[in-house]
Amino acid sequence: MGIVKAEKTPARVAPIFETSVVGWLRKNLFSNTFNTILTFITLYIIYLTISGVFTWGYVDATFVADNRRECYDNSLTGACWAGVIDWFDNIFYGRYPRDQIWRINFGGLLLALWMAPMWMGPVKGKVLIGISVVAFYPFLAGYLFSGGDKGMFMQVMIALALVAFIINMANMVIGLSNKQSLRQFLIRVLGQSTAPDKTQRNILLILAVAAFGAAFFWQSGWGVEGVSWTKWGGLFLTLVISGIGIASALPGGIILALGRRSKLPVLRVLSTGFIEVFRSVPLITVLFMATTMFPLFMPEGFVLNKLVQVIIAVVLFNACYMAETVRAGLQAIPKGQFEGAHTIGLGYWGTMGLIIMPQALKHMIPNIVGSFIGLLKDTTLVSIIGLFDILGMLRSISKDQPWLGLHKEPLVFGAILFFIICFSMSKYSRHLEVKLSAGSRH
Amino acid sequence: MLQGENNMSDQQSLGQLASAASSEVMIEINQMNKWYGQFHVLKDINLTVHKGERIVICGPSGSGKSTLIRCINALEEHQEGDIIVDGIVLGKNLKNLDHIRTEVGMVFQNFNLFPHLTILENLTLGPMWVRKMGRAEANEIAMQYLERVKIPEQADKYPGQMSGGQQQRVAIARSLCMSPKIMLFDEPTSALDPEMIKEVLDVMVDLADTGMTMIVVTHEMGFARTIADEVIFMDEGDIVETNKPADFFGNPEHERTQKFLSQIL
Repeated sequence: MGIVKAEKTPARVAPIFETSVVGWLRKNLFSNTFNTILTFITLYIIYLTISGVFTWGYVDATFVADNRRECYDNSLTGACWAGVIDWFDNIFYGRYPRDQIWRINFGGLLLALWMAPMWMGPVKGKVLIGISVVAFYPFLAGYLFSGGDKGMFMQVMIALALVAFIINMANMVIGLSNKQSLRQFLIRVLGQSTAPDKTQRNILLILAVAAFGAAFFWQSGWGVEGVSWTKWGGLFLTLVISGIGIASALPGGIILALGRRSKLPVLRVLSTGFIEVFRSVPLITVLFMATTMFPLFMPEGFVLNKLVQVIIAVVLFNACYMAETVRAGLQAIPKGQFEGAHTIGLGYWGTMGLIIMPQALKHMIPNIVGSFIGLLKDTTLVSIIGLFDILGMLRSISKDQPWLGLHKEPLVFGAILFFIICFSMSKYSRHLEVKLSAGSRH
Repeated sequence: MLQGENNMSDQQSLGQLASAASSEVMIEINQMNKWYGQFHVLKDINLTVHKGERIVICGPSGSGKSTLIRCINALEEHQEGDIIVDGIVLGKNLKNLDHIRTEVGMVFQNFNLFPHLTILENLTLGPMWVRKMGRAEANEIAMQYLERVKIPEQADKYPGQMSGGQQQRVAIARSLCMSPKIMLFDEPTSALDPEMIKEVLDVMVDLADTGMTMIVVTHEMGFARTIADEVIFMDEGDIVETNKPADFFGNPEHERTQKFLSQIL
């Protein structure tokens, strides 16, 4: 035996039937007679469906009318979107006072601004931003939406939320312009870069306290009028319930999952029992229990409003599902990671918070987002116990005098709305998964 | 095989100097027993390690050698007898365990680096969160140890982007960042491709030269010959033989040792 090939073989272009469109069609759609027939039948079915929907929903449809009669006058076979359009405000905001709707929009804008820095590359401290959203935003938004008198606790929380928001925005600006964190920037501007850690920390603390004082003083100067929760409704209510559900199900699930894996028997049994009970019962049962049974066990005169009861039920139910997702993620982490963490002296919380959870959560993103989508859709069940969430609103269109009997169009509209929200969530989770797995895979 | 056999004698004499210089006891194990369920893994273990001593433990798989060193930094619990590390008795006391772990560094067969953190973050995690050091100081120490294991240019990479040999050197540096008094190595080269074993052993030889107290479970007999003050042979949970490397390899006393050595050399 000697040298087989002295020169390197140059790479050649792939055969044309592997890369061309015609080649692809022939291979995948028309490979033999039977597949060709199947292809044509399927194409015909797709054509029928799409053309039917298109004619009903667009060509023959009525977009402007005052009532259902006018829709029929225009076309008997087309959709009557005029009813849905007429109810837009109700679908999105429920019976929230029309002159106060800006508060809802403003609340949404605040949330968007608050979370935006998490998607900006150069901004520092993303984890802190995430925590501040969950910890402070609900109080600010809660007051914005419900209004009325502020108690002392609410005043403090609103001031804290304002400070957190301003710090966050300042941090974003500094991050985008200087690629620094707010902390580094302030220390540098104050000329304390060389001061010891402790001095730096004290300076920042003083600044934060001063900001809190200013915010507290400022917020005590204004208020917004009260809006009873019974007026909340539509997509707004759906997003409030599912938003709180999403924000608290994950932390709750993490705590329950850690409890279930704990070495302490009492904690373990309690967590396991709690998880299994809630997981074995349908959500609608939990909702009924929360709104009808729960008040019976409470002392006379103790009235919790129905919305709060519903939110608590949704949170507990979803925390239990989330706990099982988190547990699966924790089990996927090799034992060596725990041992590695122990050998550098990290205790239980250090190991979990710095080593195990970040890795487990990354593995679990698709499942977590799946649960979130499920939660958002399950929220529509509250319409059964008499809250006018988006589904409740869509269904009451058919009971409104001018639009009597209009069932189909509102539900189709609702379906499209849910599809847009849920599909973007799932697309985003896919994107996140790809992004996070780049660079740090084994 | 290692670092050039010619400077072997230098290192040996240096090692003896180091161990002779101080007779402070770092690890003392008295009549220690351990069971996994019904299985008796470690039987009546007695072992004393002085400051600066380098011990190599070898033996067939399942002989309990990994379990023994895992007991020393309390990754495993023992049921009978005493383990005293740097004057602290290992037991159920959680505070002691955390303290021991910061004094005893450990390097694993599978590196156990944290894949979601960069190399630098892997190294600074312990100093910052356990030793409560500032970031600047921790970074400085980390870079210093990365220099020492000869990969400072990799600081911003993730473990998954490095070769096995580089990962193991990072793992050694990570332990050293905690400035431990004792280093344990659990088959540090067993998961490596042959051409990477040398770079890891070189780092370990360097470390031995600094007078670190080391216990190494390994099958690298060349390494044992070069740096060990004592070689321990374990089989089925017993310490069968303890000897100076020259005697251990040249003139093994027990027949089980002879059989083991004839199989691997």
